[in-house]
Amino acid sequence: MTLIGVPGRSGVIAVARRLAGHLARGLVMILVVTTISFLIIRNIPGDPMAAKYEKLVEQGMSPEAAQQAVNVLYGFMPTGSMWEQYLDYMKGLARLDLGQSLTVPGTGVSTVLMSAAKWTLIPVLAGTLLSFLVGIILGVYAAIKRQGKLGDLLAISGSLLHGVPQYVLALLLGAIFTTLIPILPAGGTADIMFEPGFNAGYIGSLVQHATLPVVTYALASYGGWILAMKSSVVTVLGDDFILAAELRGMKRSIIFRYIARNAILPLFTILALSLGLLFGGAIFIERIFNYPGLGLMLIDSITGRDYALMGGAFLLITVAIIIANIAADLLYTVIDPRVRSGGEAA
Amino acid sequence: MSVTSDKRAPGVRISDLSVVYRTPAGELPAVRGIDLELVPGTITGVVGESGSGKSTLALSLLNAVQPPGRISAGSVEIDGLGDVVALGGDDLRRARGRHVGYVFQAAQSSLNPLKTVGKQLLDLGRSHDVEDLPGLVKEARSLLDRMGMDGARVLDSHQHELSGGMRQRVGIMLALVLNAHLVVLDEPTTALDMITQATILRIIREVHEERGLTTLVITHDLGVVAEVADRLAVMYGGRVVEQGPTREVLGDPRHPYTRGLLQAIPRLVGDIDEARALPGRPPTLGTIPADGCVFRERCAVRMDVCETGEPPVLTQGPRIVACHAADMGPEAVTEPAKERQTVTAGVGDTPTTGEEQA
Amino acid sequence: MTATTIMPEARTASATLRRNFWRGVWRVMKRKPSRMVGVVIMAGFAFMGIFGPMLYPERLPRDTSALYAAPSWAHPFGTDFEGTDVLALVVTGSRYVLLTGLVTAVITVVLGAGIGLFAGFRRGRWDSVLMRITDMKLTIPGLPLLLVLSTIWKFTSAIEMGLVLGLLGWGGVARAVRAQTLSLRERGFVEAARGLGLSTTHIIGKELLPSMAPYIAMNMLIAVTGAVYAQVGLFFLGVLPFEANNWGVMLNLAVFGGGALTTTAALPYLLAPLLAILLLTLGIVLVVDAMDEIFNPRLREE
Repeated sequence: MTLIGVPGRSGVIAVARRLAGHLARGLVMILVVTTISFLIIRNIPGDPMAAKYEKLVEQGMSPEAAQQAVNVLYGFMPTGSMWEQYLDYMKGLARLDLGQSLTVPGTGVSTVLMSAAKWTLIPVLAGTLLSFLVGIILGVYAAIKRQGKLGDLLAISGSLLHGVPQYVLALLLGAIFTTLIPILPAGGTADIMFEPGFNAGYIGSLVQHATLPVVTYALASYGGWILAMKSSVVTVLGDDFILAAELRGMKRSIIFRYIARNAILPLFTILALSLGLLFGGAIFIERIFNYPGLGLMLIDSITGRDYALMGGAFLLITVAIIIANIAADLLYTVIDPRVRSGGEAA
Repeated sequence: MSVTSDKRAPGVRISDLSVVYRTPAGELPAVRGIDLELVPGTITGVVGESGSGKSTLALSLLNAVQPPGRISAGSVEIDGLGDVVALGGDDLRRARGRHVGYVFQAAQSSLNPLKTVGKQLLDLGRSHDVEDLPGLVKEARSLLDRMGMDGARVLDSHQHELSGGMRQRVGIMLALVLNAHLVVLDEPTTALDMITQATILRIIREVHEERGLTTLVITHDLGVVAEVADRLAVMYGGRVVEQGPTREVLGDPRHPYTRGLLQAIPRLVGDIDEARALPGRPPTLGTIPADGCVFRERCAVRMDVCETGEPPVLTQGPRIVACHAADMGPEAVTEPAKERQTVTAGVGDTPTTGEEQA
Repeated sequence: MTATTIMPEARTASATLRRNFWRGVWRVMKRKPSRMVGVVIMAGFAFMGIFGPMLYPERLPRDTSALYAAPSWAHPFGTDFEGTDVLALVVTGSRYVLLTGLVTAVITVVLGAGIGLFAGFRRGRWDSVLMRITDMKLTIPGLPLLLVLSTIWKFTSAIEMGLVLGLLGWGGVARAVRAQTLSLRERGFVEAARGLGLSTTHIIGKELLPSMAPYIAMNMLIAVTGAVYAQVGLFFLGVLPFEANNWGVMLNLAVFGGGALTTTAALPYLLAPLLAILLLTLGIVLVVDAMDEIFNPRLREE
């Protein structure tokens, strides 16, 4: 028999334990991803690192100096055993030294990545927020009107949009709004005619350019939200405590809040998955709308054989997903008292 | 609707109440032509198997039959409130909780899992425009204390931190805290262990007397009724087949179904084979006979007239029986049932797809 | 309840299911004609993938006088930058796309169901280790990983592509099948069969798999769409060499070669493969919806 739990201190400990678990798993993930990067880069046909080293030595550089130069450039030691190279690469990563970018010469990979990250992060978050809100409201509606035509229509729109891949949506939206009815810009972050800074013209242009990417992100995940919310609300509507609240004469507005809060809860687990999906999908959307975020950077680094940048972009996208997961889980913990008290939660 | 502050227990008169459920096969009656009076200040017990319509009857008292069901005929007159069937909208909402308290089955969760009991209590108070919220909390705490719990701690707890028996007591507290004088308890002890069951029954009895309530207890367990109820109504197939003072009905059952129920209870002393279950299964929504007696399929004293004729309602002092064979004396129904099934305590819940789940 | 009362019930239930299966299928199909449409669409794509390429010569004819021609009777979706008929490109390109999808789906389902069943059946340490791995796999961003992999692996054949996608994609199915296995266990299925002295192979093969088969089949269909999207997407991004004729290649050439997002000339070239993808999605969504209702009696009654 469960007796009254003690939320206070044990709750904090439970949250801390969850967080520690997440961080540990995140570290393992980072280790896995960086190892994959390392193995792939070391096995690229033609071995560009070794080639560069040979070339530098041929040009008359001393082996040590050449080794140094390659290491600065790629974050890799071109010589030594595989194991030594791996340790060296990892040491560099631990110092957040990801090597030098080839596409933007003279700049560290981390700098290049950081400047690209905002162009992915802000649209992805804006799109997610937008679709989360719209999807949840329509999902509640679809659940309440599930017997009617409109509810059916909403559910069908949800499953269709949920099934369509992001690039198809992006291409269709692009074809409509940049080619057929050219009212939105086809690519870039802002018109070059505006001076970057805090002025109306630049900001307006930013918003205009971000519209298509953000709407695509939103539409791509909207279907998932509406479907998940609908089924969640239907489940909660059948719960006893809703009928109990009704029989106690609770106000409709209060009952609605009970339904909404209980129904949203399971969606937070999906939120994490969806964010991960969106960061992956950013590759398509940024490529299509020529938006200079992490995804475009990853593609450019692959086509431009900029392997240090490629490894870095892959790593950063993974880290973003790990962080999104942790954030979603913590949010869940804050909302659900059953998890918070560390009990035998559902 | 004005808040009546009279402290007297209200009487309830249910007349000719029918509830139908809309199904693909048309509207089927779950409860048909029920006449039942709850005498002010008494505890009335309603017993029946799953699908007998007893839960539907309980919900009717708050005009809360859930779709696809609806009250198709009859009235439920509650003193100080009028005919509940005619109420709607905000008037109905205010009547619920304020005038009629409703307590849910124990095992099921009648609390919002995400909020503490105290916060839900405040929601309840706000819903009923209680101005003195601290007073409400105080009242709740003393009720909980009174039921043998640490009130302050319970109010600070979430549902998952409470045991089944504690949740049930919280449910009773929420039904009483607004000072309702008519209380409906739907299966108050189902799924609780024996000791907790006994505690809950004692609390029901005590609170009933202390506060001067009119109480309706819905159960499938004859033992529960024997323990707490002053009056007893037996339901079968959506009908009340027999009612009267508990002692008299249990001591001298007139309806063959009541008799069958009593025979199905295994005794602690004596041969377990003496307990015999009723043959057959209770009818579900779709299989309730439209004409004649609803019990005839399983009845040991079935006659030709049962096929077609509505059983006559015989009144004898406080006792009412609806049976063609009722005046033939008890000997007619004592012959043992032909088939033996599993021995169950009480009536036993045979899984049916009746309106209980709806 | 005892084991002896459960098993015969389960068996008669599955026998009845089989007997009534096709009648049920027909009834569900008839009730919503849209589902019939779904089946027809899927059959159409299967036909296109198998026989489509046979209808055209090995090298598609080029009409150099009509580059990016507008849709006409001769070219329902116009022509591409070389004057090749776009419809012919879609039809001949379907084989690679669908074959990859099929290979991926088979690998996904076999691996996913195998691992999920094993984990759910064994429980304990095996379960937690396998699920940790699965979780990790689910968190590693699949598309970036594919892109990075493409630097050393060129995915030349459809089978090779399907293999890689399948090896990367079994995580979701494994999780779902494990959850199903666990819930079947909870219902006493496995214990009852154990009690009857049935072997593990029998329990998995005869009791667990059949009750999960429809679920797995639905997952397989969904895996087909996932694989189609992924490989069309990879080719569209242009990180893979354009070996074969393929919808993704068409999209890439239309957008980055033909400028379909700035001029209307290449628009039909862009829309044709998109339409094919959308139609395939629609067909699969409709069929999955129908399957859901056929195998989920609870939904049928509503």
